[in-house]
Amino acid sequence: MHSSTTNVPMVKIQVNGQEVEVKEGSTIIEAFYQNKIDIAHYCWHPGLSVAGVCRLCMVEIEGNPRLQIACNTTVTPGMRVSNVSEKVKDAVKWGLDFHLINHPLDCPICDQAGECGLQDQYMKYGRNDSKMGEAKVKKHKVVDLGPRVVLDSERCILCSRCVRFCDEVPKTSELGIFNRGDRAEVGTFDGKPLTNKYSTNVVDICPVGALTSRDFRFRQRVWFLKDKETICTGCSTGCNVKAYYNKEGVFRVKPVYNAAVNGHWMCDDGRDIYKFVNRENRLIDAKLVSGGKTEHMQPMELAKRLGATLKGQGASVALVLTGSHSVEEYEAIVSYFKNDVGTTQIYHWINNPDTIDSFDGILIRGDKNPNTKGLIEVLAKNGVSTQWKSLTDSIGTGAVKTVVVAGPENQALFPDMKVKISELSKAAKLVWMTAGKNSELESLTGDVALLPLKTYVEKPGTFVNHAGLRQKTQPVTSIVPGALSLVEAVQLFRGEELVAKPVQEGEKPNEIGKGRVHNEFTLTRGVW
Amino acid sequence: MSTVQAVDKNSTYKVKRPEAGSNWFLPGIFLGLTLTGTKMLRNLFDYVKSMGGAKRELMPTVNYPEEKYEYSPRFKGNHVLTVKKDGALRCTACMLCATNCPADCISIVASEHEDPTVEKFPISYEIDILRCVFCGFCEEACPVDAIRMGPEWQTPGINGSEFQYDLKQLAYRPALKGGIVSVVDEEERHKAGI
Repeated sequence: MHSSTTNVPMVKIQVNGQEVEVKEGSTIIEAFYQNKIDIAHYCWHPGLSVAGVCRLCMVEIEGNPRLQIACNTTVTPGMRVSNVSEKVKDAVKWGLDFHLINHPLDCPICDQAGECGLQDQYMKYGRNDSKMGEAKVKKHKVVDLGPRVVLDSERCILCSRCVRFCDEVPKTSELGIFNRGDRAEVGTFDGKPLTNKYSTNVVDICPVGALTSRDFRFRQRVWFLKDKETICTGCSTGCNVKAYYNKEGVFRVKPVYNAAVNGHWMCDDGRDIYKFVNRENRLIDAKLVSGGKTEHMQPMELAKRLGATLKGQGASVALVLTGSHSVEEYEAIVSYFKNDVGTTQIYHWINNPDTIDSFDGILIRGDKNPNTKGLIEVLAKNGVSTQWKSLTDSIGTGAVKTVVVAGPENQALFPDMKVKISELSKAAKLVWMTAGKNSELESLTGDVALLPLKTYVEKPGTFVNHAGLRQKTQPVTSIVPGALSLVEAVQLFRGEELVAKPVQEGEKPNEIGKGRVHNEFTLTRGVW
Repeated sequence: MSTVQAVDKNSTYKVKRPEAGSNWFLPGIFLGLTLTGTKMLRNLFDYVKSMGGAKRELMPTVNYPEEKYEYSPRFKGNHVLTVKKDGALRCTACMLCATNCPADCISIVASEHEDPTVEKFPISYEIDILRCVFCGFCEEACPVDAIRMGPEWQTPGINGSEFQYDLKQLAYRPALKGGIVSVVDEEERHKAGI
C-alpha cells in the first residue's frame, strides 16, 4: 500500500486541511488509510473490493452539495475532503444508529469486545440510547458455519466483508446474504459448511462480533492479551503474524500485512501452530538415560555434560537437522560439529519429500518448514552433502555410534516422526534436542539424552522463506524458562557460560516478560 | 508541656523542656483513675442488667464469639454470586469484574453453554478472599447483577485453600439458603425486546 511506483502519476488532494499525495485512480478512503487519518468504516477493507454498504465513511467534498462515501469516490486533483465537519459527524452518528437498530449490544459476552469496530464507533460517536421503539429482530445465534467459524446473526451489520472474502480470495464463494431488509442474514447455501483453507480470515475481517473463531472463542478476553509480531513457521511461505499471549502462553495468531509475503491473509493451518509452543505440549525437563539409570536435570547442566562427551569424537557422531530452526542456529551447530566434534556427517531430515514443491496458488506450500532454504544454504556453505540412506546404513554397520537430532519444532508437521525415532534409536547413543514432548522419545531405553529447546516465539532468528526472502524475528514471550536455543546449546557444548548481552546505548531493551500493566483500566478510571 | 520554638529559619529547632518539680502530676493521675473506675463500674452493672433483658445500647461491647454482631444488609462483606429464577448461575463470564479488580483476586474460566440463548457461562469462578480488598469494584462493574457483596463478614479458615472461594461457596453456601436471585432476568429482557 505504501510503496509508490514511479510510473503511476500521483494526485495531490487536501484531507482535513492536510495536503496528501496519492496514486491517480485511488479512492478517497485509500488516501485516508495511507496517511493514517481516522475514518469510520466497516465494509471497506484494503484487501477486498468496494461494496459501499455501511455508509459510514461519509466525507464532505468541497463544491459537492451532498456527502459522499469515501470508499467509492475516486480522487481528482485539487480535491478538498473533510470528515471532521459537523455535517459528517451527524451523518456518521445517524448511520451508526441505523446499524445499532437490531444489534443486541451484548458486548459483555461478545468475543469481539475490546477490538470491535462497532464498539469503538459507539464509544466515539454514539453513546446514546436507541431511538427505536420497536423490539429488536431475533435471528439465529451460535450457528456453526464450519469447523472453525461461529456465526451470530444478531450481531451482524451486513457489511458483506466475509462474503466478498470468500468470493475473491479463496474463490470458493461459500457465504452469501439471504433474505431482505432487517431479516437479512449471512449464511451458507443449503447449510453447506464453510470449509475452505482460509476460513478464519473472515473472523479477523468481521468488524463486529458476528463471526467468531471456534478455537479462540471464550478462552480469553482480548484486553488480557499482549501481542507481538513474529512469523508463521507452519510452512515455507513465512506469513507475517502477530502472536497474542499472556503469562499462561500463546492464545492465537493473526496475520499482519506484508505485501511481499502474505498480503492481508493467512491460512487456517497456520492458526494452529501456536498450540505446540504452549507449556502443556512442551518438553520441560532435560533427561539423561544411560545404563538403565535415569537422571533429570537442568537443560544447561545436560548440555555441558553432552559437550564434554561429544568433543573430538570425529566421524562416529552424526547430526540430524530439520528445517524448523533459524539460520543463526544452523550456523552455530554446523560449525560446532565441523570444527569441535570433527564430523561432516550432517543430515537433512525432509519431512514431506513428496509434496515439498506443491503450492495451492494462494499461500499454502507443501514444504512444511519455515527455513528449508536457510538450512540448505548453511549446509552448502560448509560443504556438507549427504544422503539420508548413508546415515541409516552407517548406523546399521556401527560406523555411527552417536546420533544428535535437533528438532523438529512442531512435531505435528512431521508425519514420519515415529519411523525416524525407531530408525535413529538403533544408534548406540541418541541425543535428541526438541521443543515438543513426545511419549515415544521419553519411553526410549538405552543411551538417550533429551534436551528441551526453545520454540520460534522464544528466540530471535532469521528465517529464509521459499522465495529466498530473509525475515528476522524477535522473541515474543518466554514459555519454558530452562529451554535452550541451538545457539545457546552450542555455547554450553563448548563449555562457555551463557551471558546475557548488556543493553547497548540506543538499543531497545528486550520486552520479554513485560505483561499487561495490571489494572490499567482501574488506573484510568474516569478518564475518557 | 514542651513548647517548640523556631530559633532561626536555617538552624535546628531547640526544644524547651519543663524543669523538674515545676508541675504536679498526681491530680492528673487521680483524674484518669476516676474515669477508668466509673466506666468499669458502669459496664459491670450494665452487663448484669443486660443479662436481665435491659436495653442493649448501654453496653456496646459484645461477648464474641458467643454473641455475634449483625451488620446491615448493605454491608459490603463476602461476595455472593446471584442465581436466575431456575437456580442456574446468573454470571455470564464477561470478566468485567476480573478486569476491574484492583487486587487481581478473581479468576474465571468461561465456556460455551449448550443453550444458545445463554451462550457463555463460567465453569470456574474463584475469588482469593485473602487478596480481596473489599472495594466493591466487582459489584460495580457487573452488567447483570451477578456478583454482590453480602453482609457476611467472618472469613475464618484453617488452611489456604479455605480462602479460595469457588462457585459452590460463592453461589450456593448454606447461609444463602439456595441462592440469591438476581434482579436482571433474561426472559423479561427478551420480552422487552432487548
